[in-house]
Amino acid sequence: MEEHYQHLYEALTQVDGYIYPNEIDLHWGLMIVLYPYITGLVAGAFILASLERVFNIKALKPTYGLALLTALAFLFVATLPLVSHLQHPLRSYEIFMTPNPTSAMAIFGFVYLWYLMVVLLLEIWFDYRRDFVIWSKTSTGFKKIFYKLITLGINETDEKSAKLDDKLGYFITVLGIPSAFLLHGYVGFIFGSIKANPWWSTVLMPVIFLFSAMVSGIALVMLVYMVVSWVRKVKIDMLCLDTIAKYLFYILIIDFTLESLDQIHRLYEAEESFDIIKVLVGGKLNITLIYMQVIFGTIIPLSIIGFFQIYKPAEKIRIIAYFFIGIIVLIGIFFMRWNVVIGGQLFSKSLSGFTSFKAVYSGMEGYLMSAVWLILPLLILSFLLWLMPPWKKVSIHE
Amino acid sequence: MGTERIKKNRRTFFKSSAALIGGTLLYSLIKPFEGLAQTKEEDIQEDKTNFPLWGMGVDLESCIGCGKCAEACKIENNVPIEPFYFRTWVEQYTVKNNGEVKIESPNGGIGGLKQSVPDDEIFKSFMVPKLCNHCTKAPCVQACPVGATFISPDGVVLVDETYCIGCSYCIQACPYGARYMNPVTKVADKCTFCYHRISKGLQPACVEVCPTDARIFGNLKDKKSDLVKFLQNNPTQVLKPHLNTHSRVFYNGLSSEVK
Amino acid sequence: MPKIIFRLLLSFIVFVTVFVLIQQYLTPNSFGKYGHYRANAINDNKMRTSHYKGEENCVTCHQDVYDLKSEDVHDRVRCESCHFPKIAGSVDCEVMPPKVEGTLEFCAQCHAINLGRLKKGVPQLDFKEHKGDQNCIECHNVHAPWELKE
Repeated sequence: MEEHYQHLYEALTQVDGYIYPNEIDLHWGLMIVLYPYITGLVAGAFILASLERVFNIKALKPTYGLALLTALAFLFVATLPLVSHLQHPLRSYEIFMTPNPTSAMAIFGFVYLWYLMVVLLLEIWFDYRRDFVIWSKTSTGFKKIFYKLITLGINETDEKSAKLDDKLGYFITVLGIPSAFLLHGYVGFIFGSIKANPWWSTVLMPVIFLFSAMVSGIALVMLVYMVVSWVRKVKIDMLCLDTIAKYLFYILIIDFTLESLDQIHRLYEAEESFDIIKVLVGGKLNITLIYMQVIFGTIIPLSIIGFFQIYKPAEKIRIIAYFFIGIIVLIGIFFMRWNVVIGGQLFSKSLSGFTSFKAVYSGMEGYLMSAVWLILPLLILSFLLWLMPPWKKVSIHE
Repeated sequence: MGTERIKKNRRTFFKSSAALIGGTLLYSLIKPFEGLAQTKEEDIQEDKTNFPLWGMGVDLESCIGCGKCAEACKIENNVPIEPFYFRTWVEQYTVKNNGEVKIESPNGGIGGLKQSVPDDEIFKSFMVPKLCNHCTKAPCVQACPVGATFISPDGVVLVDETYCIGCSYCIQACPYGARYMNPVTKVADKCTFCYHRISKGLQPACVEVCPTDARIFGNLKDKKSDLVKFLQNNPTQVLKPHLNTHSRVFYNGLSSEVK
Repeated sequence: MPKIIFRLLLSFIVFVTVFVLIQQYLTPNSFGKYGHYRANAINDNKMRTSHYKGEENCVTCHQDVYDLKSEDVHDRVRCESCHFPKIAGSVDCEVMPPKVEGTLEFCAQCHAINLGRLKKGVPQLDFKEHKGDQNCIECHNVHAPWELKE
């Protein structure tokens, strides 16, 4: 308790202008920045997979299974930052028991469950079922037990069942696209529907969140594909990689347009909140927004990939460029979440002053905890790739 | 062979449905389904007309910024005495001659607000007490994911301390900065119009101690109450009307500089 | 219908049913009675302890002080404005009377000069100009301020 008050007394000295007395402490910290980031990666990775499955972009075939497993690994971790943020995590089951129909946050439990079980797990299951049956016959130990159990007793491997798996998988993917939109769109709505906060309250918020999610998911799968190919010492399918980069480019353009539209609209209408927001963007958010999110995370990747559309340099150069772009895009989107969540709390609702964000290393909201939540899905992904390697699949869908 | 399979599937289907329905009925013995009760609707309709509708009036032409209301509230409601968490606080607005507006509320106004700008720079200055507005269309109630904050039948926005999960969404949703996270109970907390006092016919603590009667508490449905007379005799405003929260704290003498 | 679809649908229906049953069991009893909240919470909020007792309570023992106060300008200031409960840890004024220190700072809370207090009917003065560092109560009877002690 002493430490808590100590931190608040320090924050009091950092107040600039006037803030409502209760606004001294930022209530939503790193964990709440992480949650949209992780669900965004899930939704984005899934959309990339569906580009191949539903929209028949054949060039993306090598990353289909990889994208799905990436989405699954991150989805497993998605709730954890939220639970570690709650003051009463043991009461979190209440969101399932008595969800408030007027609250955007209450949808979380059901959308998460639906997406995890009906969309992602089912789609992966339909895609891998035949492989599980075949692999269960040739493997030993843990893998053998796992494969036998996961088939749920449906052991047909003939053509007819394969076709059925295909059709059902396709159906689930089609169902999954709006579900992915809902999974991440509602997060945007959580912020966009708060009329009390002018930095958050905009109609475009769910759409911006969705498109930035797609950008981050695509960049993630691109990176994962490159790393996995390097680990497996196999040649990267350049057509696939170029296609992923191309889609990254298109979606990034849409994302950048939407974000710019939001800012231009604010600048033009210049309503009551604009004066403080102008100071916010030019001051406390200057580095994280102008430099990290816009220049580093959007303009530079757009320029490089844009350039590649006109002139394609040698393969080696492209691979290095894509790797670099993947990383800066992921960093840029992280900072986009940061700017929304933390930025929206830095200025007072009295529109007359600022408080400060205190970086913490340890504890539930610290940098260490964030690192854990970000590394854990990568470990889960490695485990999934060992358990269900997409490159060892026998049956590939049409 | 096909019909055999169909028959078997149908049999399995009926067996499983029977098991499900039987299980559900058996379960209802353990916990009867209240959702099926028809009578509760009528009970509520009757009660609603008997409940008061609480509101507060704040007379800015009387407030001297002594801070006794903020102090009394902290004592009455066990709010931590540190200068951080306030269910109610008083702000001093100083409009300078150059047009700049300085707003301050050191320790919420407890100990009395002190003039911090030299006389010759001041164009005008006034005090504004703030508290939870107990909005009829409260954005905090709308936002709570589990139903831990709610509007009571008599119009007071309350928090269920045993149910709140501490997600802080309501604190983000409040446009007036009236809510805070209580560091001891770790749930969202705010002014409750001293619900435990008004339900016994007492006044809220802040109203009780105000030396200039700048706070007027009452039942909006009672045409003879001081509050209703206050509303009738003064041009009153609410804070942030453009957000349409239907706030039930009415200010007399609210100047446009007030945020 | 094919075995695969049948089994999946069945598991889905079972899951939903189990979920609804658990939901019924874990939802608190009074939930939903008046709205989307636990109706017993209203009572929980009513049951808190009060510290301020109200002026009528003080008058039962201190009628004389009350009468003195009603004749002078502090009549509209209620007892507990200054004698707030919990001074020096007192909760029961009979056990530990909430005595107030009549210091300059205490009276200054209302009476210090502040341009935000203009025209509000409360006399304001610059304390230093008035009587230097002398305490207010050395000249003024707190309950009847215009009854000066000299």
